[in-house]
Amino acid sequence: MNRTFDRYAGILFLAVAVFFVTESKSISTSSYGSTVGPNIFPLGLGILLGIMSIRLIYESFRYQYEENEYVKLEYKRFGILLAASVIYCLFLEDIGYAIATFLFLLIGFQTMKKGKILFSLLISATFSVGVFYIFNELLNIPLPSSSNWLGIL
Amino acid sequence: MNTLDFLMQGFSVAFQWQNILFAFAGVVIGTAVGVLPGIGPMNGVALLLPITASLTAGLNPENAAASALILLAGIYYGAMYGGSTTSILLNTPGESASVMTTLDGYQMAKNGRAGAALAISAIGSFVAGIIALVGLILLAKPLSRIAINFGPAEYFALMVLGLLAVSGLVGKSMTKAIIMMLSGLALGTIGIDAVSGSARFTFDIPVLYSGISFLTIAVGLFALGEVFKTVLENEKLDGRIIKINRVMPTKQDLKDSALPIARSSVLGFFIGVLPGAGATIASSFAYVMEKKISKDPSKFGKGAIEGVAAPETANNAAAGGALIPLLTLGIPGSGTTAIMMGALIMYNIQPGPLLFQNHPNVVWGLIASMFVGNLMLLILNMPLVKVFAKLIDTPIKYLMPLIIAFSVFGVYAVQFTTFDLMLLLVSGVLGYFLSKNDFPLPPLVLALVLGPMVENNMMRALTLSNGDYMIFLQKPVAAIFLIISALWIIIPLILKFRNKKL
Repeated sequence: MNRTFDRYAGILFLAVAVFFVTESKSISTSSYGSTVGPNIFPLGLGILLGIMSIRLIYESFRYQYEENEYVKLEYKRFGILLAASVIYCLFLEDIGYAIATFLFLLIGFQTMKKGKILFSLLISATFSVGVFYIFNELLNIPLPSSSNWLGIL
Repeated sequence: MNTLDFLMQGFSVAFQWQNILFAFAGVVIGTAVGVLPGIGPMNGVALLLPITASLTAGLNPENAAASALILLAGIYYGAMYGGSTTSILLNTPGESASVMTTLDGYQMAKNGRAGAALAISAIGSFVAGIIALVGLILLAKPLSRIAINFGPAEYFALMVLGLLAVSGLVGKSMTKAIIMMLSGLALGTIGIDAVSGSARFTFDIPVLYSGISFLTIAVGLFALGEVFKTVLENEKLDGRIIKINRVMPTKQDLKDSALPIARSSVLGFFIGVLPGAGATIASSFAYVMEKKISKDPSKFGKGAIEGVAAPETANNAAAGGALIPLLTLGIPGSGTTAIMMGALIMYNIQPGPLLFQNHPNVVWGLIASMFVGNLMLLILNMPLVKVFAKLIDTPIKYLMPLIIAFSVFGVYAVQFTTFDLMLLLVSGVLGYFLSKNDFPLPPLVLALVLGPMVENNMMRALTLSNGDYMIFLQKPVAAIFLIISALWIIIPLILKFRNKKL
């Protein structure tokens, strides 16, 4: 068990709980003359979540041992992949599905492991164009297109 | 109409050409997904849920729901089977339910009997599927007849029990499981409240009015979370894959495993019916039971075919049993069935006792297609097992970015908003860190699905009682459910306390 993570997670969940309790005050307390309103459920959840978070924080102080299993994490690889994913998602609608996916996959493959660039190009192109074509043309589910700036896809 | 007529009607649904196709596709995709490194049944079903929604878009809602469910169920047991392939050939269980299979399965493979182990697990799965099917047919009607008399108070109590049962059984810390469950319920309150129509926690942000999409969260937590784990921890499959020689089991193998398969099917089915207790518990129970019954317990762990047949049969029987609370009571007993329930709700079909009355085609079609799917699994896997085994070698270099792209595509094709894509990535990152620190994810997903219904029933009960909370204790059935729920939490606490003293 990771004492630090659990403690901060507990504090974070407690914050969410407090937020729920305070925010549910601004929800109406009654609907159509009923004695119970839509605020009751979130309020109750907030209170319960608060109690459990405090319990988690309390438990985290009582962990007997600090486990020191050291696993080398690939933060760089993960960071690049995550950043690429965020950019991919943010600009998917502007760039168009096929082009954005192609670029994302190419970067993704090369981030995971460098090399075999031709193979990477081939898979990226097949997947992005293939999915775009199948869903746009065959199944009539419109995906963002690049035709407004590229003319095709 | 009696049950048999309904079943026949179900078969007529299952034998529609598109549904045969869906069952076939589900089983193939599921097996492939189960074999691929790092994706288990729950991740597979979550990953492919959006695609089923797109594929069935042209059909009318009832047919679409039946087809989607048939596809998802196919993926579910296909993936369960795929998971056992990796346990046997690589000593790497794809999911917790096939951990027990590695004990004897890998030993069998080392002794050159990989083919027999794989075949017996396919046969066991098939028998389990059939027995679960019979159980489902026999139990579903009476159960839904009882449940139909439930009022809102009883339903609320039942759902509380379902939620706590799942939270109490997963993971190491009950505190964490309950925190996850409450967070799921809390996420479910965002958006327009169905009872009063008032907007809650929306802060005038338009995308929040329709609520947090269950689909996005499920795909993020399960599919992306796994990808991020693999990327960060640089998981490698080190084991050498063992070659498969002969696929057909010998007569002696069949004779040895006949009784274990029969016993484990029944045991697994009943464990599966209990909410929260799922395939994992069923498979370990079955293994332990066979070892106890066996005349020669020392052969277990050294490649006994019974040690493969029993857990494999039990986990598939449990998967079938888990569908009973889902279909009859509307309470999913596991993460995977929670996702399937989410799928039903997406099609505006409410699981529960009325399901059998209102949508017989969906339920009986699904039940019949389980039979068809199991048969396909058997026919497909005996000859194709070598082909599927090749997939184990798929390099994660290509697999991981492709899964991300696939998740993004899936969510976008259903939700069409950039907001959901961001939510997807956030859930993925949170999913990784939370599950790494023993915060179990299934309770959150389950609570997100059940949340609106829990609240709805609570509000209706309270409206009936004019705000008196005692209604939940005055109704005997509700009170019993709530007492069991309370015991579920209190008993482990007492046991823990006593252990400390000793």
